Amino acid sequence: MSRTLRANLVTLVLIAPALLLLLAVFVWPMGYYGWLSLQAQSVFTGLEPVPVGLANWQRLLGDARFWQDAAQTLRFSGVSVGLELLLGLAIALVLHQRWPARGVVRSLTLLPWALPTTVMALGWRWIFNDPNGPINGLLQSVGLATLPFLASPQLAWIAAVVADVWKTTPFVALVLLAGLQMIPADLYEALALEGGHSWQALWRITLPLLRPYIFLVLLFRLAQALGVFDLIAVLTGGGPAGSTESLAVYAYLNAMRFLDFGYSATVMLGMFLLLLLSALLLLLWRRAAEA
Amino acid sequence: MTTPTPATSASVTVTSATPGSSTSGSLRLEQLLRRIGTRTIVDHLDLTVEGGDCLALLGPSGCGKSSILRLIAGLDWPDAGRILLAGRDITALPPVRRQVGMVFQSYALYPHLSVARNLSLGMEMRGVPRATIERELDRVLVLLQLEELRGRRPADLSGGQRQRVALARALLRRPQVFLLDEPMSNLDAQLREELRPQLRTILCGGSAPVVYVTHDQQEAMGIADRIAVLRDGRLQQCGTPQQLYEQPANAFVARFIGRPEINLLPQPDGSLLGVRPEHLHPVGEGGIAARLLSREWHGASQQLLLSTSYGPLRWVCNGDQPVEAELRLGWEPRRLHRFDGRSSLRLPD
Repeated sequence: MSRTLRANLVTLVLIAPALLLLLAVFVWPMGYYGWLSLQAQSVFTGLEPVPVGLANWQRLLGDARFWQDAAQTLRFSGVSVGLELLLGLAIALVLHQRWPARGVVRSLTLLPWALPTTVMALGWRWIFNDPNGPINGLLQSVGLATLPFLASPQLAWIAAVVADVWKTTPFVALVLLAGLQMIPADLYEALALEGGHSWQALWRITLPLLRPYIFLVLLFRLAQALGVFDLIAVLTGGGPAGSTESLAVYAYLNAMRFLDFGYSATVMLGMFLLLLLSALLLLLWRRAAEA
Repeated sequence: MTTPTPATSASVTVTSATPGSSTSGSLRLEQLLRRIGTRTIVDHLDLTVEGGDCLALLGPSGCGKSSILRLIAGLDWPDAGRILLAGRDITALPPVRRQVGMVFQSYALYPHLSVARNLSLGMEMRGVPRATIERELDRVLVLLQLEELRGRRPADLSGGQRQRVALARALLRRPQVFLLDEPMSNLDAQLREELRPQLRTILCGGSAPVVYVTHDQQEAMGIADRIAVLRDGRLQQCGTPQQLYEQPANAFVARFIGRPEINLLPQPDGSLLGVRPEHLHPVGEGGIAARLLSREWHGASQQLLLSTSYGPLRWVCNGDQPVEAELRLGWEPRRLHRFDGRSSLRLPD
């Protein structure tokens, strides 16, 4: 056996555990879904898989509900992740400054993120309740009419965004705070000696050097938001009139309510392609920004 | 005979350099005090640096030398005392209005910007016209031989090149005072010795006062016109390298200046008798009896450790000097230093 062959074999053996794990939790389910999307497996086939070729994919392309949900999912993700980035950056900048009780506030800030999504979604459902929730109580106490936050298609998706921003901004702030702490303090001192004020320091030093962290947190959050399920399922159930339904909720309904597993797998893969496309765009944006 | 080391790409020949040529004036620190909590970092310091002079702040780590630099730059504020530049009180001025050129220990180059942008950013922020920026940029790029590197990022530069960019940035400021915080500490020993003469040319060619922080006495003696030795935030002595070597004000300065370290021999009356290792020589009679403990041979010189009735004794002599196992060592009376045993202050000769 040649040396390189033996070395390659040793390498393969050493990475085998990690490789097997990846195969089991990533490649196998993806492959299975790919196969499933080419089958009809529903109550009409007695829940047995029957090969149907690309029929599920054809149905997906013409499915108005899928495309409406895709647009809603993108709108929800774009708006909430954008707001989380702005708020998270502001909070990170404040928490990076030295002031008394900073440590306590830093820990408190993290609390919403530590809460299980289902629990916090139930909480927000009560907060948005019409007419008994605290917000409507406040509106009534100042003589205004109550608002049907969760019953109006125009308001319900905004309610979902508010709840999501409340929960995940701390995560964004935490990642950006870690990034801020990696920036050497003497860069700011050098800039101050040259006449830079704090606004210039933000634009000239902080944001450019924070870019890798902003990219990272965007990738994390977009992946999570595009797959949003539990928040929507508990807060609105996708309603009213499907106006908050996300792709993950639609895929869930196809499998668990309509018992159409073949089509559910196709919706899931459609969602996955959307995610892949978003990640690709983000990557291209980063390339362009670095050049 | 050793041949001189061939010039590497890092070495630069500087023909003329005039930092702060437009202005000149002395820097004065008066009773400068800086406390952090209950600790006194800078203790009622009085110092003056004339325009065009280079003063080295020398001392062990934690002696307050970097703190003094930060106070002059305006990055920290003194608890008491005044800072005067060219007769003007700048104690309360923000950093930008003090017009200082500073080289940080880490160089503090902006990692995401090219060399040229690193240098021009300050002028851009101050609203200097584009044409002036280009002219000034070309001036320092040529002066420090950085033209070919103008498009590179700091990560793609060697340590010596980064130092030159940091120097160029400080020069561009046309500073009224030049501050350098251990600018050599990130370079290897050989490069440090190569760069010392050119750094001296750049710094001391102009008319702005230069304050140079270092913990390396050899570097301080090689670069500075005058040295201020500090300990625990207090000034021990300020003078030319020669004054500090020949007339150290106390035992601490005597130990800090000169390598190998001075021999301090305790006397029966409690005082300390100081004699430098290089000022000892073998004598037939008189002097003190010594027995050889160890020997380090360096070619041109040798360094010996001997035991005497006063304790261990360091001796440096020529490499070709024969050394016996038992010998007597003496010194010229004018080479002798005496220090008070309790205060460690120099006693009159």
